[in-house]
Amino acid sequence: MPQIVLRNITKTFGKTDAVHDLDLVIEDGDFVTLLGPSGCGKTTTLRMIAGLETPTQGTISIDGKTVFSSDSGIDITPDKRDVGFLFQNYALWPHMTVEQNIGFGLENLKWSKDKIAQRVKELLTMLKIDGYQKRYPAELSGGQQQRVAIARTLATGPRVLLMDEPLSNLDAKLRTEMRAELKRLHKETGATFVYVTHDQLEAMTLSSKVCLLKDGLLQQYEPPMDVYHEPANIFVADFVGSPTMNFIDARAQNINLDQVKLEAEGLRMIFTPVSGSISLQNDQAVVLGVRPENILVADSSPLSSKVYSTLPSGMETILKLEVGTLVLTAVVFGSVDYQIDSMVKIGFSGNHCALFDKSSGEKLATGSVQLMQG
Amino acid sequence: MKTANRLKYFFRKPHNIILVLLFVSLAFLTLVPLFSLIRDTFIVHPSEIMSVRGAKINDVTLFHWKKVLLDGTKSFKLFYEPLWNTLKVSLFSSIIAIFLGGSFAWLVTRTDMAFKPFISVVFIFPYIMPSWTLAMAWLNFFRNKLIGGAPGLFTALTGIETANWFAYGIFPTSVVLGLHYAPFAYILIGGILRNMDANLEEAALILKASRAKIIARINLPIIMPAILSTFLLVFSSTMSAFAVPAFLGTPVRFQVLTTQLYRTLNGLNPGYGYIMAVVMIVIGLLILAVNQWYLGKRKSFVTVTGKSSNISFIKLKKMRPVISGAALFIVAAIAILPLLTFVVESFILAPGNYSFSNLTTQFWVGLGREDIGGGEPGILLNKSVYIAFWNSLKLSAVVALVVGTVGGLAGYAIVRGRGKKLSAIVNNLAFFPYLLPSMAFGAIYLSMFAKPIGFFPSLYGTFFLLVLIGSVKYLPFASRAGINAMLQLSGEIEEAAIIMGIPWRKRITRILFPIQKSSFLSGYLLPFISCMRELALFVLLITPANRVITTLLFQYNEKGWNQWANGINLLIIIAVLSINLLINKLTGASIDKGIGS
Repeated sequence: MPQIVLRNITKTFGKTDAVHDLDLVIEDGDFVTLLGPSGCGKTTTLRMIAGLETPTQGTISIDGKTVFSSDSGIDITPDKRDVGFLFQNYALWPHMTVEQNIGFGLENLKWSKDKIAQRVKELLTMLKIDGYQKRYPAELSGGQQQRVAIARTLATGPRVLLMDEPLSNLDAKLRTEMRAELKRLHKETGATFVYVTHDQLEAMTLSSKVCLLKDGLLQQYEPPMDVYHEPANIFVADFVGSPTMNFIDARAQNINLDQVKLEAEGLRMIFTPVSGSISLQNDQAVVLGVRPENILVADSSPLSSKVYSTLPSGMETILKLEVGTLVLTAVVFGSVDYQIDSMVKIGFSGNHCALFDKSSGEKLATGSVQLMQG
Repeated sequence: MKTANRLKYFFRKPHNIILVLLFVSLAFLTLVPLFSLIRDTFIVHPSEIMSVRGAKINDVTLFHWKKVLLDGTKSFKLFYEPLWNTLKVSLFSSIIAIFLGGSFAWLVTRTDMAFKPFISVVFIFPYIMPSWTLAMAWLNFFRNKLIGGAPGLFTALTGIETANWFAYGIFPTSVVLGLHYAPFAYILIGGILRNMDANLEEAALILKASRAKIIARINLPIIMPAILSTFLLVFSSTMSAFAVPAFLGTPVRFQVLTTQLYRTLNGLNPGYGYIMAVVMIVIGLLILAVNQWYLGKRKSFVTVTGKSSNISFIKLKKMRPVISGAALFIVAAIAILPLLTFVVESFILAPGNYSFSNLTTQFWVGLGREDIGGGEPGILLNKSVYIAFWNSLKLSAVVALVVGTVGGLAGYAIVRGRGKKLSAIVNNLAFFPYLLPSMAFGAIYLSMFAKPIGFFPSLYGTFFLLVLIGSVKYLPFASRAGINAMLQLSGEIEEAAIIMGIPWRKRITRILFPIQKSSFLSGYLLPFISCMRELALFVLLITPANRVITTLLFQYNEKGWNQWANGINLLIIIAVLSINLLINKLTGASIDKGIGS
């Protein structure tokens, strides 16, 4: 069964490393997203797995078979790696009809005409594009082109499906629809999916594991909820989640091993790690990260703040709040609205607030935060 | 009142004014001459009084048409055989150009071939150099005893006498023209390949298609319209080539339409020549029609848009050194070796003797010697060379200035008026001179401006006539460059300035031109280069007073003064290449921007 293993993969373009010393194991049947800002090396990584790009260093194996190794000089060509690839711009051949596009791969496998026709029909039905088989790609809408591209990739029944931002050219509504379809497709085919995206929401909602990259370096490789609640560093915490996490610069001091006193912008807080103890240097510079949903807006809360702006969407309202010189983002669920410049009371809730070291950006602990009065 | 208002609104837009001006002047400079040419095929010219019995000058007659088309073997020799030769040469050379140019385009854009930067620069050289460069080099190498002189380098080195069919006639003419236009095909096809999404090929590769199958089923069908267009453009260019068949065909009396045109117009029967010019124009128009029809017939998929950001080159693997070496060899053979032969030939005293003792600097810095070339001094001391060279530079600069500016404005007006009939007509009129074979175009202007028309005085023998014909002939290059530049700019960029009340002149000079500087400047560069190396267009119109360097070279060559011809050609090439390089480095303008449309 196809497991994809990358060992010490480095890819250098000119003088810069697009990917640096990447180790990654993608288990069979996983839906892994490679997530990161543009230029982080995610597409390069995907193309290296497919064999479209040659790594500068390292080894790649698919299904136990080494397909690339810089040491032993192995470099299996893409056509022999048994992978499917979905391109960002679909790469449909403009001079072939829909059925010719879908059947091309089967033709290369020397299937008989009847069998090809049958398989194409099957795929047309499965992807709900029946009736379009005689059309040229230019005569289809973006969403239909996307479906044809998926059908073409699935036709040969690859056990590994590599996808390069396949939904980024669709409008928002279609994108949401296709996300659901892709997830079903993953279940139905049972194949291993590797999916490149810069959209954190897509990564969160689709994948079984998220691989976050920045400047060619692996930041965190864990299931989406772990990435969300236990971000490895400030970059991950900031990249994942919308609206983004609040970051508050603070000075920290151990009260005891299980409690830390924080001081920031006139606020005094106690941070209690959930698991284990932490020990800090005296007066260490830290950053406290609090997700917007963990800022509790309630009359019983201890801290006064002024409403700077309010964005009600019906399902929830996103507030920007001023506390002294700090501006915090909060989310209030439900259909509520606030007056700009009015005063509201806030506090911190939950035990997924994160404490980062300011200089390294690494996470020190996650836990709960209490505001101290006065 | 309503019409007056509509006119007022119409002319308030600067692009409409330009379109109207262009329409009027282009109609006068391209359509009127065309009718004048057709008229010339039906009248008796002064030199023809003797042959057309009982006729007076300017009488209407069908004599020329009958002689050219219906006079049995005479017509065959005069017209049909050259026509057939022209078609054969054009066909063969187009195939060679497309095969070679297309292969290089594919290698450069798609594979990991070595020396790419060098190859892609030097491969263009033959197109920048005068078209007869390779023909002269061919003669330097392969000429045999047939034309009386000494055999060439090849025979000198190997002792093998080259066969006539190899040294002269259809074979070398087709090969040389094919090589000359290969860069043209390379630029056009390379442009398409560069814009063709490499993902299309990668998608096929992942679906287990072989390399050969990808080329046959994906690349070729998609770029086929471009290949056909290229084929037609090369075909019409080679059809109007004069210098190459004149150099390589004449020794074995291999005649094509252009050489016949030159003979008849300079001889006693200009009427014949005008008919041939008409025939060439008709073929040119047919080619354009085929091209338009084919492009219109294809479905919208011919427009390949969108570049993929990730292009990984095809690995040639074991073949890499072989292919890279072969490519390097070809480039050296067609772009560098010819230059060496010019150097060698220009330093040799007695032709055909390549021994060290036979070297001389006589043809560069020698004072005139009675026994060599009738006392003609060496090139660097020769007054007529300097005058001709200066004339060429002056002519090219003026033409470039006129064409570049008019072409840029034409591009602006055509793009702004897109979708309107007038814009389409002007677009076609501006492209029309491209289809007029240079020699035929020269013939038309000769016939039209030899006498005063209306307020226009007779222009024959004036510098102005040369500027005029050069400007009209090269307008297509500049207007293409201008159109391309404008198409890449969104209209909003200008509209933003309109809203702020910035006047038109300032919008052009401060906003539009600077943004697309290199494209617009390419519209100046290509006419300059073309003009510097043009022969066929000027050869009929030149008088001793305004001789340019290319016609001087042609004269030396006709006299058989091989060393001067080689030396002067070397000068032209060095001048053209260095100017091209200089402008390219300074401004980013390049000739391929003018061609690639």
